[in-house]
Amino acid sequence: MAPMKSLGSIRRDFAPWSDRDAKPYILFDGVTKQFGEFKAVDDLTLTIYEGEFFALLGASGCGKSTLLRMLAGFEAPSRGNIVIDGEDLAGTPPYRRPVNMMFQSYALFPHMSVEKNVAFGLRQERMPRDQIAERVDQVLRLVKLENYASRRPDQLSGGQRQRVALARSLAKRPKVLLLDEPLGALDKKLREETQFELADLQHQLGTTFIMVTHDQEEAMTMADRIAVMDQGKIVQVATPEEIYEAPNSRFVADFVGNVNVLEAKVLRAEGGRMSLEAAAGFTIETVNAVDASPGQTVFYALRPEKLRISGEPLTGSNVVAGEVWDIAYFGHVTSFRIKLDSGEIMKVAMINATRVSPLQLTWHDRAWLQFDDDAGLVLTR
Amino acid sequence: MAEDVGTRNAAAGSGDPEVLSSRRTRMKFRGRAVIIPPYVWLLAFFLLPFLIVFKISLSEVVVAMPPYRPTFGDPSEWWGALRQLTIDNYLWIASDELYINSYVESLWIAGISTVITLLIAYPLAYGMARAPAGLRPTLLMLVILPFWTSFLIRVYAWIGILKPEGLLNQLLIAIGLIDEPLLIINTHWAIFIGITYSYLPFMTLPIYASLDRMDHSLIEAAADLGCPPLKAFWTITLPLSLPGVVAGCFLVFIPAVGEFVIPDLLGGSRTLMIGKTVWLEFFTNRDWPVASAVAVVLVAILVLPIVIFQRYQARAGG
Ligand SMILES: Nc1ncnc2c1ncn2[C@@H]1O[C@H](COP(=O)(O)OP(=O)(O)OP(=O)(O)O)[C@@H](O)[C@H]1O
Ligand SMILES: [Mg+2]
Repeated sequence: MAPMKSLGSIRRDFAPWSDRDAKPYILFDGVTKQFGEFKAVDDLTLTIYEGEFFALLGASGCGKSTLLRMLAGFEAPSRGNIVIDGEDLAGTPPYRRPVNMMFQSYALFPHMSVEKNVAFGLRQERMPRDQIAERVDQVLRLVKLENYASRRPDQLSGGQRQRVALARSLAKRPKVLLLDEPLGALDKKLREETQFELADLQHQLGTTFIMVTHDQEEAMTMADRIAVMDQGKIVQVATPEEIYEAPNSRFVADFVGNVNVLEAKVLRAEGGRMSLEAAAGFTIETVNAVDASPGQTVFYALRPEKLRISGEPLTGSNVVAGEVWDIAYFGHVTSFRIKLDSGEIMKVAMINATRVSPLQLTWHDRAWLQFDDDAGLVLTR
Repeated sequence: MAEDVGTRNAAAGSGDPEVLSSRRTRMKFRGRAVIIPPYVWLLAFFLLPFLIVFKISLSEVVVAMPPYRPTFGDPSEWWGALRQLTIDNYLWIASDELYINSYVESLWIAGISTVITLLIAYPLAYGMARAPAGLRPTLLMLVILPFWTSFLIRVYAWIGILKPEGLLNQLLIAIGLIDEPLLIINTHWAIFIGITYSYLPFMTLPIYASLDRMDHSLIEAAADLGCPPLKAFWTITLPLSLPGVVAGCFLVFIPAVGEFVIPDLLGGSRTLMIGKTVWLEFFTNRDWPVASAVAVVLVAILVLPIVIFQRYQARAGG
């Protein structure tokens, strides 16, 4: 295997998951949650470390909220244990857990002002009045709602309500903060600002964040590690870079970012190198250490930006030809869809490094694609 | 043709102010038209009868048919008739302790009954709202079920339950809780029981509606923020169900003040609630003007809580 660059997290110095001695802070141990016959969470085991920013990514209905609700104590696991800081949570009611949750539905108290909503948790712990006021002020400023303190939730827009919910969950500075789609209703600019400030706050306070999101870009930019879930199970847990560059399955590769998945047969596999016969009718040479024997069917996952496109015939290995089927110009990249001679569509992304592209390809032109032997990834499932 | 469409669109969009304003008037009128029938209804079945009663209350009692004077028969004599109207009946009511006492008694009996009804209805409504969703329609049905038999018969049945040798006393003696029968019938307790029983659905249903509407995740959010269940009830559930509680209290209190059947059947001769006073004036004394005056004063007393109620509803809605 060619030396793969270390695939670390955003914070390169923070990687307790690769430290054998690090103590897990939150542990889901074989947790199953059944609603009737239906398993919303299915025998799931997961460890999260103190101070980690952990993101849960997955399609709608895959059990993300259920997982958070079990941690917060609103649902009891049907099987398995949940442990925080060495303490099994079974039997601990929600109001005694060191966990605060931001609800996907916000769950703001409609009869209380924004200020009262945010102060609610602090008043439960009998914090002195002036400190409450100070803390409320601080979190409201964080979510840019300091001028809305006396409004009722029904006098706010959807995005403002979401920010109140966020402020309310942040106010108590819990050890663990559960965020269920915290920024979904915000516009792009506010979303990016809030992302930035959330990450900042998290590093400052050392709070452990578990965030559910539909937005993979958000997960990539904010999280130390990402768990990709599917039908109540975790498919892969890894750093954003690893999830993107070394997905463990077609599901993850496809779920995070764009990818071309080529079905192929193993021709040779030795010394960390493999030769594959793509079903599309060309040979793939790749450096990959996958346990696969000749004749076996595998999948070759290739991100669009790792392909080079040319209007002139190319030779050598890892070359395939086709016809320009579609072009989409995005400004910073141009995206091509190339129909291979075998009928398959390949997605190619070309960075627009110069203002006028030297490549003058247009619809139905013939195009040649080439990729390096370490561009793609062989997947067996 | 294309130009034509263009101008028409411009007018329909934000252009021609005349077109717009005429359409707005039409919409306004249509919007108002919808609320005309209820007004007509109120006018015909509430305001007109009330005005008739009010007029009678300003009349003088006579032995005749109808038993009061003046009557507004011939339009040419209306002016003379109008000058015969008097407020003597109101002065009479104000001067006689009997009337004042029966107003006071009605108000406090209705008040206590309302509180008892609330104390029973709230847990009932709470239990219903927290019951499994499949069970709720059945529970609602059970609350409404008593309405399927006559109100009079149901109140009458309570005599059989509450009298000294009645079911309740037999039961209490049988299980050894008491030796002597309790005297409940013909006391205020019988009236409290009767009103509470009869008006329970009117309290239960609005409270149930407000609890049912409440988002359960609010309770979860409260718990999540460190609030134990009992406190969450006081700080979240109760305030959010308050509109239902207020509505229920008025729905019970207002008719209970003027209640006639229950005090008459269960309360015996010692309680004199205002409904009974009106009845006595009308049918025993045949003094329609005083009876009408008593009724008008009752309406005046009840208008105050009704106005408060509506204020509250308007505030809760807005
Ligand atoms: N109380 C419940 N009773 C029955 N089924 C439930 C219940 N709560 C959740 N489910 C089911 O469990 C599955 C997982 O739900 P969950 O809310 O965890 O999904 P999610 O991953 O958060 O989805 P989304 O991204 O849409 O919020 C869904 O199929 C849902 O229908
Ligand atoms: Mg969810």
